[in-house]
Amino acid sequence: MADIVTITIDGQDFQVPAGTNLVDAAKMLGTDIPVFCYHPKMEPVGMCRMCLVELGSISVNRETGEPDLDENGEPVVRWFPKLQTACTQKTYEGMVIRTTTEKVVAGRDDILEFILTSHPLDCPVCDKGGECPLQNLTMAYGPGQSRFVFTDKLNLDKHVPLGELIYLDRERCIQCARCVRFCDELVGDDVLAFHERGRRLQIVTISDPPFDTKFSGNTTDICPVGALTTTDFRFGARPWELDEVPTICPYCPVGCNLSASTRLDRDTGGKKIIKRIMPRQNEEVNEIWICDKGRFGHHHSRSTERILHPMIRKGDELVTVDWATAYAEVAARLKKYGDRTGFVAGPALSNEDLWELRKLTRLVGEQRQRGLWPATMSGIEAIAQAGAGVGTRVQDMGPGGAILVIASDFEEEAPIWWLQVKQAADRGVKVVVANARGTKLDKYAAATMPYAYGDAVAVMNGLAARARSRKKIARSLVESRVDGMDALIDSLKGVKVPHPEAADLLLDADDLLIFAGGEGLTLAQHGELMQAAANLLILTAHVGRPNNGLVAVWPGANVQGAMDMGFSAETTAALLDDPPPMWFIAEADPAGEDVRAAEVIANAECVVVTSLFMTETAQQADIILPGQSFAERDGTFTNGMRRVQRFYTAQGPIGDSLPDWKIFAHIGRQMGGDQPRISTGLVMREITEKVFRYADMGYPNLARVEKQFPDVGGDDLYYGGTAYTNTGGLGVQWKTNAEHEQHRLTVRPVNVDSFAADGLQLIPVRVLYDRGMWFRVSDVMDQRVPAPYVELNEADAAGLGIADGEQIAVVLGERTVEVRARVNGKTPAGYALLPMRLSDAPTLTVPAAGVVQKIEE
Amino acid sequence: MNMVRGFATTLKHVIEGPVTIEYPEQERPVRERFKGRHALKRYENGLEKCIGCSLCAAACPADAIWVEAAENTDEERYSPGERYAKTYEINMLRCIFCGYCEDACPTEAIVLEHEYRLSFNDRYDAIYTKDMLIDPVPPGVQGTPQVTEPGKFTRSIPDMENPK
Repeated sequence: MADIVTITIDGQDFQVPAGTNLVDAAKMLGTDIPVFCYHPKMEPVGMCRMCLVELGSISVNRETGEPDLDENGEPVVRWFPKLQTACTQKTYEGMVIRTTTEKVVAGRDDILEFILTSHPLDCPVCDKGGECPLQNLTMAYGPGQSRFVFTDKLNLDKHVPLGELIYLDRERCIQCARCVRFCDELVGDDVLAFHERGRRLQIVTISDPPFDTKFSGNTTDICPVGALTTTDFRFGARPWELDEVPTICPYCPVGCNLSASTRLDRDTGGKKIIKRIMPRQNEEVNEIWICDKGRFGHHHSRSTERILHPMIRKGDELVTVDWATAYAEVAARLKKYGDRTGFVAGPALSNEDLWELRKLTRLVGEQRQRGLWPATMSGIEAIAQAGAGVGTRVQDMGPGGAILVIASDFEEEAPIWWLQVKQAADRGVKVVVANARGTKLDKYAAATMPYAYGDAVAVMNGLAARARSRKKIARSLVESRVDGMDALIDSLKGVKVPHPEAADLLLDADDLLIFAGGEGLTLAQHGELMQAAANLLILTAHVGRPNNGLVAVWPGANVQGAMDMGFSAETTAALLDDPPPMWFIAEADPAGEDVRAAEVIANAECVVVTSLFMTETAQQADIILPGQSFAERDGTFTNGMRRVQRFYTAQGPIGDSLPDWKIFAHIGRQMGGDQPRISTGLVMREITEKVFRYADMGYPNLARVEKQFPDVGGDDLYYGGTAYTNTGGLGVQWKTNAEHEQHRLTVRPVNVDSFAADGLQLIPVRVLYDRGMWFRVSDVMDQRVPAPYVELNEADAAGLGIADGEQIAVVLGERTVEVRARVNGKTPAGYALLPMRLSDAPTLTVPAAGVVQKIEE
Repeated sequence: MNMVRGFATTLKHVIEGPVTIEYPEQERPVRERFKGRHALKRYENGLEKCIGCSLCAAACPADAIWVEAAENTDEERYSPGERYAKTYEINMLRCIFCGYCEDACPTEAIVLEHEYRLSFNDRYDAIYTKDMLIDPVPPGVQGTPQVTEPGKFTRSIPDMENPK
């Protein structure tokens, strides 16, 4: 804990921790010091000079250490002769500042006059107008009139594309460098820079492709003027016309809090639609950042390609029917096939949907085959035991902590976690990356633990072995409440430790957080990896407290929730091995993503699908039920750190579509189930009664908010940026067994078998910008989605006679997919990396032996 | 005596003739500052003055104005600068003719003119769209959209006067 010091702001004494940034300290104490270039999430640079204050120190007698007193008995303050920038000052004992004196007011006034000399004052057409720090601060602190001649203003380019997502207006830019510093300091992508000097100073992009970062949209939020605007929203509406709806990103397990800015729209028949997506502050989850996929990937919610009505296949044609007919038909099929039905839930169904689907599976029969798509990751038991402790915040971790990221291309799979872990590494947290190939996080890692694909479990097990040999086992925890210890300890004897130095970095840390992905792992192996991680964490007592434990980088926004509701990837795998005649697939596209699933679904007798789009799976369906996107309905998602978060209805329904939970409940009614609930809140109430981990997840609890620092939005636009304050709820995390004192924990030896590498192995990898069923219709991101490709090692490619950039064929069983070859030295030899969901044709979701060949002419 | 004075007044008014006029055959001219139906103005070169900034809608106390903006290009230019009004609608049933929109407009694009004959058979007819509000194109110049020379119309708002 830092020392507490006394500082005086405008004559009032305050106690603050020593070394706090002065602007932050004043803000926390309720005094606004206006800033443009300073941002509480970034290092100060003192460029804009807006935060000028009178700064002094209480004069202290060097002999006695007592403050010198004047004739009135007041402490003597030695003032700096000139105004000082508050943002570059850290609090210390005896600091005295004045923020409202005439000198300070005149100083700010002058700075604003300078800033405005070349500002175009085109606020009426500026997207930032209405939520612009420069506007607000000019009104509050600026001069009433300009003394500068308008014809002297510089006329610069107003329409400079910095990449295809962000436009720069050179006239409006006030050279605060927030965007440059965000990209450099926080993200670490060297994409923006200053060019020229003096009055010609301007922002340029120095990367190819331009502004090549996954976080570019955030620069528009922190830009204190309208210099950076997004292609997506450009001139979409004025900020004061927008209605904000709290929502949650439906793409990845981070569960970023979003705010959907909605407005009525003439082009869509006067309906309310999402005009833009903005970050919503949740310091526990995404702070105030979101990635570009979340920001610009909302167009599927109102795409013209959406399925509008329920449809039933009659012969070769799909016939539009009403809901009553559709429900009756689905119920009739479910009764006919009964237990011979395989249910598959998609990765972004809400908890309420999943609960109603679970109830439906009970009505159908005894087997209750509840599968989950994509069937790539498992290990919910490991999470239930050793999941990251409640209150885990990577942002809080310091030099005593360590983070292991294993089997995940972290930036592609969970960008905001990547950003947080990268920043943690900058703060001195020991980040260790274990992967079979190089990833972007390696650059920031304290150590890497490379391994051959398939050996991830062995690496994790090796860490536990190292803990054993170094006597790092936490006796008190292990002896009091852990089962299966002896067998595990026996199994660890003689186990080889692949990277002892890296292992020691992790084992010597006070806090240990493990992010486990599923890259290059079969489903069974992933279960073992998760168990191996849980073993390690339990053995070393890195469980049951914040910043310790296991986090799975799940392949979807609510895979955690699906597992909590009893759906599992193992069931899907079993269903694919022994296919039932009937499939009930909810908001997933197995046939479009996996060749094996495509085969099985093509041969099924009956397929019922709920879907937004005519996916490959929907095209094979006998009954198609139009579901709703995250924007048109409410519900809850559970993120990868087990935080249950609410999202709210942002826009009206498209066509006859209904939320999935309602569809399932109505079908259930036809099967003799309960009357459907009237709202998601009531469904959640039922969940709280039936699922013990969700006992606290009633909607009022989830909607609870508290004041967070830094302040954003509203009156604090100038400070934290245009991210929205959280009004929708911070969410609640469920507790792991480790956090329930009465629960026992279980460890067991893991199976470290690697897969037999015979010939070239195809490894499916996740990429952020893919052609998944929702993201493919996001108009503005098209250019960021790469053409389908496969990555090959130089040696392998040379052996096959394949050149870089060549269009080649990947043979997957009976199907062949054409992709572009990317030949490099980074891909491990003997493996070909095939991104998931990038081609229109199904590829792979789990590793398999495969053939890559030149296309025969 | 009072009665006589009363009748005298009556008689005076009888002789004066009626103050009412036979509307609609006859029309009384309105005052110069009369605030009637709005018009969206054009520059002399045919470009629209309205830049779709929506400040009129923000100023409107009756929430009668609906603006949606879009982006100009030199190939398809409606107004100077980057932004123009793609949709501009005024609901005349809501409008209270206060003229705040005129005051709020940074380009003097919207003006309350002298037309006051506004009657509708249908509520929807009361919504005046941009085509109905905008002034006709001045003779001899092209209407909007225009193809314009790049770099010529970069300023949305006419230059302000230099400080004295």
